[in-house]
Amino acid sequence: MRVIIFSWEYPPRVVGKLADYVRELAVQLVKNEVRVYVVTYHDFLTGLYEEQEGPNTYRITNPVRTHIGVLTWVLTLNQEAERVASNIYYDVAKQIALIDVHDWHFIPAAVTLKKAFDLPFIYSIDSLEDHRAHSANSPFNMAIKSIEWLGMYEAKTILVKSEWMQDEAYRVYKVPIEKVKVVKPESRIWIKDVLEAYTMTGGGSVSK
Amino acid sequence: MDKRRFGSLYNDGWRLRFQMSRRLSVMMMTWEFPPRIVGGISPHVYHLSKSLAKNGVKVYVVTCDFPGAPEHEILDGVEVFRIDSYKNPSPDFATWVYLMNMNLQKEAATIANRVSGKVDIFHAHDWLVASAGVGLKHVFRKPLLVTVHSTEIGRRNGIHSDYQRMIHETESWLTYEAWKVICCSNYMISHVKWAFGLPEDKLTMIPNGVNTEESEKAKNTDLSPFRRKFALPEEKIILFVGRLVYEKGVHVLVSAIPKILEKVNAKFVIVGNGYMKEPLSNTVKSIGLAHKVIFTGFVDDETLRNLQACADVSVVPSLYEPFGIVAIEAMAAKSPVVVSDTGGLSEIVEHDKTGVKVYMNNPDSLAWGTNKVLLDENYAKSMSENAYKMVQEKYNWDKIAEQTKKVYESVLDDYAKSFWTNT
Repeated sequence: MRVIIFSWEYPPRVVGKLADYVRELAVQLVKNEVRVYVVTYHDFLTGLYEEQEGPNTYRITNPVRTHIGVLTWVLTLNQEAERVASNIYYDVAKQIALIDVHDWHFIPAAVTLKKAFDLPFIYSIDSLEDHRAHSANSPFNMAIKSIEWLGMYEAKTILVKSEWMQDEAYRVYKVPIEKVKVVKPESRIWIKDVLEAYTMTGGGSVSK
Repeated sequence: MDKRRFGSLYNDGWRLRFQMSRRLSVMMMTWEFPPRIVGGISPHVYHLSKSLAKNGVKVYVVTCDFPGAPEHEILDGVEVFRIDSYKNPSPDFATWVYLMNMNLQKEAATIANRVSGKVDIFHAHDWLVASAGVGLKHVFRKPLLVTVHSTEIGRRNGIHSDYQRMIHETESWLTYEAWKVICCSNYMISHVKWAFGLPEDKLTMIPNGVNTEESEKAKNTDLSPFRRKFALPEEKIILFVGRLVYEKGVHVLVSAIPKILEKVNAKFVIVGNGYMKEPLSNTVKSIGLAHKVIFTGFVDDETLRNLQACADVSVVPSLYEPFGIVAIEAMAAKSPVVVSDTGGLSEIVEHDKTGVKVYMNNPDSLAWGTNKVLLDENYAKSMSENAYKMVQEKYNWDKIAEQTKKVYESVLDDYAKSFWTNT
């Protein structure tokens, strides 16, 4: 099974705890015979980085250097994510099972790729705008929420890290609870849960 | 696309495959398309698409929605899709543009997937659809073309803020990603080359067109009752059409009024709105010539065509003009033109043959040119006839579509040699 992982943070670029989580996920997936392609952002360490018995990492930078805010910055960066993911897709003769998108940043790219290639994606929620900016409803916050909503709507599966977040996804976005799977990082069977979700979403067996 | 079945033919070039299977197809991306009209891109894409369709090209247009306009329709042979463009709340215009691109690209990807590889070329118009154009190019591995209608650095006369720089860099990125960049005048070609540092061979000039059918209609009706609403029978009509802003040079015309009236009896009809309207109409009043000047404000298309058909001379005294469509529209209506020698206007008019060129920002020169046309009927007539012929030949949409199709074909020839054809 081949999967693409989208995350806006990944070591050595660590913004919050998401970077280390995605790194651990990628490493564990490789150990379980999943071919992993991580697409992430770095301002200057761009291009492909291959590891012996590890995931492949493609680091992209923003094609537009000047921005007025994080939204415009994210939206032009998405085109590079789309470009790199498309190149991977064609390089492996279209044999990609799914894209796993961590948080909202690369939802736009995942949605376009889904529509173009009939390629399903998983939306893995680490945090929501409603928690990051409590009850803020400026156009800026609402725009981010609308992208999160798009992700919830278009994703085939939503993964969260706690039952609390499962309830929050329902509370904020009215996502049917069956669409949201809990995979607890602290659990001993965490990677098994992730693999199960991947198999359900991408179809077929894991080691293919 | 079923490459296995057509594999060997594919390598022999796309032409062969086309003859066997289907016609060339293009997906146009634009933020405005009739009935949504913001500026000049909307009529441009409409006429270009319609003429391309007439020329055997399958055209899909993906554009923003408009109240009352259908989501999907076939309009004059063109398949139009209108997307929900106000889905996402946006803090400012530029952010709205990028979010709209996210939605446009989502819908365009769905359409392109549904017609399974039958889109050969993506054609974007201005930065307003930049990210969608770049994204679709890579996702479907098809060539991207862009028409640059205007630039941020030109509109703002320089880059003065991060907001403007972001748009400037987006334009630069779009022209970088495009296989070919089309501009509507040689002036714009050199401007775009300078603004984004593009190589010469990436740029192609294809002029903007004018619809002579509409002007034809105006000429075939009796316009004397219409004319009486604006001028006395013995008065000549001097027409200005444009936004009433500094770069359009309407203040130069107002300064020239007394000089023109010294030699001819005329009525000045000034069409358009802008921040200079009030100060200029005050000037006209203060010099006691209010009865000689009419400020009509914004008028509908029909009134405009009729005015152009009635005008004894149309003046275009612009200080900045990337193309100058208004001069060509006047020529199509067989009105003689007087233009300032600048930008796109310099290319359109050949002095003494298709119009009169005068010095830019110079009321004396403008008055001289205007009077020259008004005082010599034979001169005026021969110029307007030459200009009309020239417009029909050069700024004709069928011809422009033909030229555009040639650019598509040459890009597809290049594409056939690239490794993208094997994916």
